[in-house]
Amino acid sequence: MDGSTTTAPRVPTGAPPALQPGTALRRRHRFPRARWAMLAFIAPALVIYLLMVILPSLQTVQLSFTNWDGISPSYDEVGVANYTDILTSGRFWNAVKNTLILGLGSAVIVNLISLVVALMLDKLNHAMGFFRTVVYLPALVSAFIMATIWKYLLNYNFGIVNSALRHLGLPQWARDWLGDSGIVVWVLLFIICFTLGGNTTLIYLANLQSVPQELLEAARIDGAGSVKVFWNVTWPMIAGAVTVNMTLAMIAGWVLFDQVLVLTTGGPGFVSETMAFFIYKVGFGEYRAGLGSAAAVVLFLVVIVSTVASNAYMRKREIQA
Amino acid sequence: MQYAKTRPLGKRLAMTAAGVAISALALAGCAGTGSGSSTGASGPKTSIQFMYATGDETWNSVVAGLVKDFNAKSTTTTVTAVPLPSGADYATQMKTVDATGHWPAIVDMRDTPTYIKAGKLAPIPSEVTSLIAPDAFAKAADGNVYTVPYSALNGELGINIVYNKDYFAQHKLSVPKTYGDFLTLLKDIKANGDVPLATAASEVWPADQLWKPLAAPIFAQYSDQGGFWNAAKAGKVAVSDLRAPLQELKTITDDYVLKGWQSTADAQTTTLLVNGQAVMATSSAGLGRLMDIHKVDPKFNAGIFIVPDAKGNIPVLKNSVDGSTAGGLAISAQAKADKKQYASSVEFLKYFYSVPAADLMEKAGWISPNIVDSAKVTHNSSIPGASDYFALLKNPKLVWYENAPTFTTFSAFNTFFRQSRIAMQDGQTSIDDTIAKVQAEFDKDAAAG
Repeated sequence: MDGSTTTAPRVPTGAPPALQPGTALRRRHRFPRARWAMLAFIAPALVIYLLMVILPSLQTVQLSFTNWDGISPSYDEVGVANYTDILTSGRFWNAVKNTLILGLGSAVIVNLISLVVALMLDKLNHAMGFFRTVVYLPALVSAFIMATIWKYLLNYNFGIVNSALRHLGLPQWARDWLGDSGIVVWVLLFIICFTLGGNTTLIYLANLQSVPQELLEAARIDGAGSVKVFWNVTWPMIAGAVTVNMTLAMIAGWVLFDQVLVLTTGGPGFVSETMAFFIYKVGFGEYRAGLGSAAAVVLFLVVIVSTVASNAYMRKREIQA
Repeated sequence: MQYAKTRPLGKRLAMTAAGVAISALALAGCAGTGSGSSTGASGPKTSIQFMYATGDETWNSVVAGLVKDFNAKSTTTTVTAVPLPSGADYATQMKTVDATGHWPAIVDMRDTPTYIKAGKLAPIPSEVTSLIAPDAFAKAADGNVYTVPYSALNGELGINIVYNKDYFAQHKLSVPKTYGDFLTLLKDIKANGDVPLATAASEVWPADQLWKPLAAPIFAQYSDQGGFWNAAKAGKVAVSDLRAPLQELKTITDDYVLKGWQSTADAQTTTLLVNGQAVMATSSAGLGRLMDIHKVDPKFNAGIFIVPDAKGNIPVLKNSVDGSTAGGLAISAQAKADKKQYASSVEFLKYFYSVPAADLMEKAGWISPNIVDSAKVTHNSSIPGASDYFALLKNPKLVWYENAPTFTTFSAFNTFFRQSRIAMQDGQTSIDDTIAKVQAEFDKDAAAG
């Protein structure tokens, strides 16, 4: 089946049907009143959102050109010095590298695993509710708590992982999982993937169950095997879910913070810092709010550019049932 | 297309008014009053807050006991102890406090220069400082005193090595009298097939526990110039002058420290010591660490010593206003702006540095601050190892030194230096690279501060 031949349903065009005399007048009166009422209800939330989110976000841009320490009532304008400091800092680029590894890596791995799990759940005939719950359970635990549990499990001297390895006669396999600079980022990737799959799986499962059965049956009748059916029918039909899941996973990856804070606090040294953690560390822990703001602006641009670019690419291959 | 049915005008107006009222209430609830002053609603007493950092169970109980005793005695003031929540670093917590506009009257203060520069602190009056031993506090660059010690921990006497006394006796080992003795001790323990030392770097700040004693002999040389970092800012010394202690730090870490230190939390070193996984452990909690050990295993025979220098002196940083010390108590500028709040703050601090308060602290297992009347204080020597601690205070080899950077960006630099040292200890960077990176950061921060 050629996905490109399927097109989205057309929206009817042409002039709207003529209104009864007096109807338009009544609507002109009713519509603005209803709008005002709606606005009155929306206004509190809108005002709070503007004050608490939008305004501080805009202020971040302004602060990124200052040397504010986050506490003092005054600061000096420093031009683009913060941006120069960031872009010439090995520490920042290490954080970028880690963010790419953890953000893109977790997005790809979580999507792959979630898709496989969703395909398995989709084939289940019995106890589907139970298995769905089991798959979704890790998503119910906050990243902070999950990371804390992993921290205990992976402790070099007391953790159950190393204790088990030692008791099994494999002491040489015991590692300082969260303190070995050579592996710590990959350990973080593993833990992040472990906790992020629940929602992704459910979105895939919902999309899999909405693939028209007649298309699948037609492909099977035409002699396509399971792999061909998946690749030529199912995969194009769930392209929208792939776009959504990849976008959400990438955004979650760019702003990874909780796990890093709990598990490694960016260490040992600076080795496992991510961009979000870098912003927190310099902006709050080191009293460099100006520098942290500049890093936040850079992160914002990275998220926007990467999200728009990946969306544009993935949307090209979407089709409408 | 259909629109929702409309309600009569009166009802619509009533609903709109209700919506506006609710939103106004919500906004009012969100807004801060911006005032730090308040008086007790239930009487003439002035209510003030004492914000303290949690984390040490002994300190928590000391604060609770002192506040209760003070409130019972004072006819003018009621103090409420407010713990800084755990789970975030100090700077983040204080920024949250600052953002709300509600500074407590008395604060457990660190990173003091930053807050002095920001005008958040008030000078401690002489009626309080006159109660404290002159060696136990220091003036800031402007000549005022902004923090006063909450314990004899101030002055970094609490940064020391906790050790297993029974092991020492069993293997005929003794507390080192010189730095050379310390190295021999490490070698001897390793030769016995045991791990000499446990240390921690899961949090960044415990990285000082091993570093400070090694660097102290060099830092102490610049005491009369306001400390090493001020001399560095003046161009008289450089980070490369710390090469020898950095090399020692690397060698000791590689050869004698228990594996897994990079991900070990400070409090876990107690368990490592008690479990026998290491014979000694670094600490910055002083007597508090001995208390912790006693709680974990009452039979454990713990002792304390400080790593001496090559000549046998024990250089210890005195309480200063820089960000690398253990901290101190401060009066907020917001409290100063309110006469009653300020008077109550001073009253509480005067109580804090009185003999009855010191006796209460000691009874709870805390080392009371070095007050002028310390001879009248009943010290608690019932905790195993406490005698070692008190002996340190009287040790003739104890040399107090100052290291109080005057540039306000020192906290930022110090955090960077700590993390860089951890990276070097971990083998991620060479000593030369570390020195170069730290010097570059120092130059930038010193110039900015």
